Amino acid sequence: MSGYTTSGAQQPSTGAAADASTIDIHSRAVSYTCGDCDGDVQLKRGEPIRCRNCGHRVLYKKRTNRMVQFEAR
Amino acid sequence: MAGQPDASKPKPRAVAPRGTKKAAPAGAAGDTQHGNRALAEEGAAVAQQPVDGADEMRRQKAPLSSSAKDEFAAMLEPFYYGKALSDPIDTARDKWNLLPAFLKVKGLVKQHLDSYNHFVDVDLKKILAANRYVRSDLDPKFLLEYKDIRVLAPNRAEEDTNSSGHSKSTVTPNECRLRDMTYAAPIVVDIVYTRGSSRVRRNNVQIGRMPVMLKSNKCVLAGKNDREMALLEECPLDPGGYFITRGQEKVILVQEQLNKNRVIVESAKGIMQASVTSSTSERKTKTYVIQKKGLMYLRHNTLSEEIPIVIVMKALGVLSDEEIMVLICGDDAEYQDKFTVNFEACMQAKIFTQQAALEHVGHRVRLTKKFGRARNYHLEAIECLANVVLPHVAVEGTNFRTKALYIALMARRVIMAEVNPKLVDDRDYVGNKRLELSGQMLSLLFEDHFKRFNHDFKLNIDKVLKKQNRAQEFDAFSHIGALKNHITLGIERAIATGNWSLKRFKMDRAGVTHVLSRLSYIAALGMMTRISSQFEKTRKVSGPRALQPSQFGMLCTSDTPEGEACGLVKNLALMTHITTEDDEDPVRKMVFLLGAEDITMQTGDEIHREGLYSVCLNGTPIALTSTPKSFLVNFRKLRRMGRISEFTSIYINHDFCEVHIATDEGRICRPLIIVENGRSKVTARYLKALRKGTMEFEDFLTRGLVEYLDCNEENDTNIAIKEKDIGQYTTHLEIEPFTILGAVAGLIPYPHHNQSPRNTYQCAMGKQAIGAIAYNQFTRIDTLLYLMVYPQQPMVKTRTIELTKYDKLPAGQNATVAVMSYSGYDIEDALVLNKASCDRGFGRCQVLKKSVVPLKTYANGTSDGIDDKAAMQPKNLADPKYGAIGKDGIAQVGARVSQGEAYLMKSVPADTTASARGNVQMKTQEMRYKLPDPSYIDKVCITENEAGTSLIKLLLRQTRRPELGDKFSSRHGQKGVCGLIVAQEDMPFNDQGICPDIIMNPHGFPSRMTVGKMKELHSGKAGVLRGTLEYGTCFGGSEVLDMADVLVQHGFSYTGKDYLTSGITGEALQFYVFFGPIYYQKLKHMVQDKMHSRSRGPRAILTRQPTEGRARDGGLRLGEMERDCLIAYGASQLLLERLMISSDAHHVDVCGRCGQMGASGWCRICESERAVRRITMPYAAKLLIQELGAMNVKVTIGLEDEFRSAEYDYEA
Repeated sequence: MSGYTTSGAQQPSTGAAADASTIDIHSRAVSYTCGDCDGDVQLKRGEPIRCRNCGHRVLYKKRTNRMVQFEAR
Repeated sequence: MAGQPDASKPKPRAVAPRGTKKAAPAGAAGDTQHGNRALAEEGAAVAQQPVDGADEMRRQKAPLSSSAKDEFAAMLEPFYYGKALSDPIDTARDKWNLLPAFLKVKGLVKQHLDSYNHFVDVDLKKILAANRYVRSDLDPKFLLEYKDIRVLAPNRAEEDTNSSGHSKSTVTPNECRLRDMTYAAPIVVDIVYTRGSSRVRRNNVQIGRMPVMLKSNKCVLAGKNDREMALLEECPLDPGGYFITRGQEKVILVQEQLNKNRVIVESAKGIMQASVTSSTSERKTKTYVIQKKGLMYLRHNTLSEEIPIVIVMKALGVLSDEEIMVLICGDDAEYQDKFTVNFEACMQAKIFTQQAALEHVGHRVRLTKKFGRARNYHLEAIECLANVVLPHVAVEGTNFRTKALYIALMARRVIMAEVNPKLVDDRDYVGNKRLELSGQMLSLLFEDHFKRFNHDFKLNIDKVLKKQNRAQEFDAFSHIGALKNHITLGIERAIATGNWSLKRFKMDRAGVTHVLSRLSYIAALGMMTRISSQFEKTRKVSGPRALQPSQFGMLCTSDTPEGEACGLVKNLALMTHITTEDDEDPVRKMVFLLGAEDITMQTGDEIHREGLYSVCLNGTPIALTSTPKSFLVNFRKLRRMGRISEFTSIYINHDFCEVHIATDEGRICRPLIIVENGRSKVTARYLKALRKGTMEFEDFLTRGLVEYLDCNEENDTNIAIKEKDIGQYTTHLEIEPFTILGAVAGLIPYPHHNQSPRNTYQCAMGKQAIGAIAYNQFTRIDTLLYLMVYPQQPMVKTRTIELTKYDKLPAGQNATVAVMSYSGYDIEDALVLNKASCDRGFGRCQVLKKSVVPLKTYANGTSDGIDDKAAMQPKNLADPKYGAIGKDGIAQVGARVSQGEAYLMKSVPADTTASARGNVQMKTQEMRYKLPDPSYIDKVCITENEAGTSLIKLLLRQTRRPELGDKFSSRHGQKGVCGLIVAQEDMPFNDQGICPDIIMNPHGFPSRMTVGKMKELHSGKAGVLRGTLEYGTCFGGSEVLDMADVLVQHGFSYTGKDYLTSGITGEALQFYVFFGPIYYQKLKHMVQDKMHSRSRGPRAILTRQPTEGRARDGGLRLGEMERDCLIAYGASQLLLERLMISSDAHHVDVCGRCGQMGASGWCRICESERAVRRITMPYAAKLLIQELGAMNVKVTIGLEDEFRSAEYDYEA
């Protein structure tokens, strides 16, 4: 939580990607899980990878809701 | 080093331990409280079941949540593995309780942590003190002084700039692993410098970042209990002691070296020489005194030729020949005869004064820099002798007495070794070795980078000061920030690549660091205790590889690799401790207080007088004593009282009449129980206190019950292995004999019953076993991770297993083994597996593979991205190739991917050259799954590294059941592959209907002589029947007779053999079968990763031959030896097919007249098509001809008809 300020170091990192032009308004947001607080993070294409709640930068994709069939042997 | 004061403080040893004690009560109180409660519980348990206590108490107590304080709590609890507080203590058997107490304080990787802590807390400040001033050449008024240096708590690189200590960083090691970051902490200094006319002080100026060793005192994991560790997503059993750089776990292996600043006498090719590698913070040089053709010389790299010893002595101010003679030879007539010739050399050179001798030496000093002016030989000689030759012997002013004495000592050693060849030193003796740890390595690295930093800093300052009129006042502070990356990147690069290149010490070592192997818990642990040697592997000398008797208890006797590194790579034993540096000065004071006299005040006659012993501090003689024995005893007493650091060692060398005291770093030592007057000082009373928790290992040291001995001091002792062996002359008692083995060899049950190579094989295989890796194994995303689905702790444990906590992170399963022949698929150590066992989960494992995709940013401002639309396009929707892809363009978690299916849709800019800017066309690149066996997506992690690059990490999971060809091994170096999987119906069974999980062929036993395995089965079977875990500790463990009794009690044969019925015929087997549980490990070598075949496939571009290796779908090579066989057999057509037709056959047009290659039936050289013939040859041969041509070597091909006719005549 400490580093959750828009610091200078962050700027070049997201620089190219986070430009308003590259964030695709048409693309749907996909929901991820934060690795620290377990909260839901809605991310669109090109958005910076960061939990909005705690500022953690490790996000995990959620499990598919499609059916998965295992061969148990 | 807990409980030890800073080296900077003047060692008030009597006070220091008290300081640690003060901290203890809080913990101790908790312990006792907890102890009482546990005691009450045990009381209740005993009340319920009055008798049958022994069996009941073997049950292990799970650590209660309140005891989560530390991991060794279980072992220090009132029930000490089935022993309650009230149980009688038998010192002979229970003294091993000291071992967990030792490991609680020291830990298994304490050497690394101690060394790193010492570096960060002490060495760093010393380095700063040695380089504290930065001056400018241009402005004499400018002065920058470093006041202090500290390493702060670890944080993220981005937090450096904005917050300087306002809020605590939340960085965890696991975040660094996941985000490919470096786990590092800022290094800050306090500076005072000149700005304008005033002196300005600035505190907490950052000069770089220091990688933090996990679990060191700077690490966030330091002092955390199990629960806090879990919150940080870290495994409490993880040993720590490694670094995380760029997301990789890196270990700085322990390096073994010959000791520094000691005289070593060697004889090489008939030349006797005494050499000293002097190492000080400024210099590292080697000085020799050699005996050549009866004459003695001093040799040094900076001296252009060898200088006769007498001249050197004269230059050092020992002028009279008699004095030289006496200093070196004493009054021994034999030595004198040998040495007399040396005076002639001096006479011939006509050197009689110190002045002349210095001139002589000065003429032979090699100059590093060329000076235009005339050389002052005299001063150069003084400079050289004072600082370059033997720099570790300090010279005060121009009093060269100490140095003269040292050189005389070296000369004396050479003469003594000439007379008595037994006095030649053994380089391989462990006492002559020092271990270099991560702290020392980092300290060298940091010093180098810090010096360069200061140098660059000074250049920057000079550059500004050079300008005459500056717009604003010059502030040196602004220049520090620009340079801090140098130190950060320099250290990070060295650790990440393992290349230590320091120009100052001419050190250029590669492979200093290694990636921590996470194949299994024990592999990681084994890596932390590994020692690599500096010896070349190619040399054909067996000395360094051989097992040294002095290794006993210090280095593991079993754990070494096979093959080329055999004996060069060693492992620490369980109780080993490696010393860090202690301050010399208090010890020096102590030496004089104990009545020894300053050696520089003595004449040679006195030094070598009968019965007088010189006292050497770290190899340099400093004093003289006439009562060496009482001096030694008194010194030891002081050490046992805690007045001197416990790691100081003292011993007598009677050959050279010397008492040696060592305080230097890198000595290997181990604790032993002190025995006085035939009685062990550790009595039942103390063990009771230890059990109760009122005493800790530290207290045993301060009370003088236990002490550390290094290899040299061990030679002065008489150590009893068991308490009953204590005799009149015994001085020490072994804490536990099984500590001669290391952590890895300690897994073997009954190793003392095995043939020794088998134990060595197991040490190699234990590291390849699949099992649990760490408690945080599911949060890790490693390149390759093998996990066992149902790991079990072994039925037959050892004490070491408990101490290393292998029972909590096991790698194997207890298989019921029938030792019998079955089918023919069990020859050559193959195993027959029970199919039903495999169905139930025997040997089932998971393989997790990582696939990382960094989204790169290119020079023209374009960057990679993820294409979330491509898979959603109508034409792709039905395509199963994109079935796994989710709506964000990344594979869905839980989806199954098979060969050729896409798991990530990446969009890459079509043009990444710097010229292309603005809107660049993007093209879609799909990442495809390549392996033939399908995987499931286990985890998808999206993150960002320190540089700001997005990373997409996918974890792919496969679950594998044992199949034909998978490799298994017991813990006795008995590996075998699965030869057959048999249905349970066909397996033999005993009266109770028990089927074996594994059938092993009895032929595995006679030649391997692994009796330990039989004992394991025997004890394990008894344990299963009785419901207890048995012990197979080295030199101890459950007795065969007891186990046989248990078997009989439960209605089994005492031999462990059972009557079995054949599952195939239903008849009784005509023999009794040795039947019971053996702990089996599944090794990482699995058929699925190796299986490979090819008919046609890819070819290498250059040679057009089939590619090599499974990963490239390569061909199977018919090598030279196979070729030789075919030639010998005469199968020429087969050869032709294998080597050309099926490989790189190529049609070439060759001109028969000029022998050159043409094209399209036309020879350009002859300008005709008359003699051109089309032939088939290997493409590699054609390539060779052309490559030779490129080097101006002409190759002509001669053509000849197979069936010659007159029709063609090329010569025409």
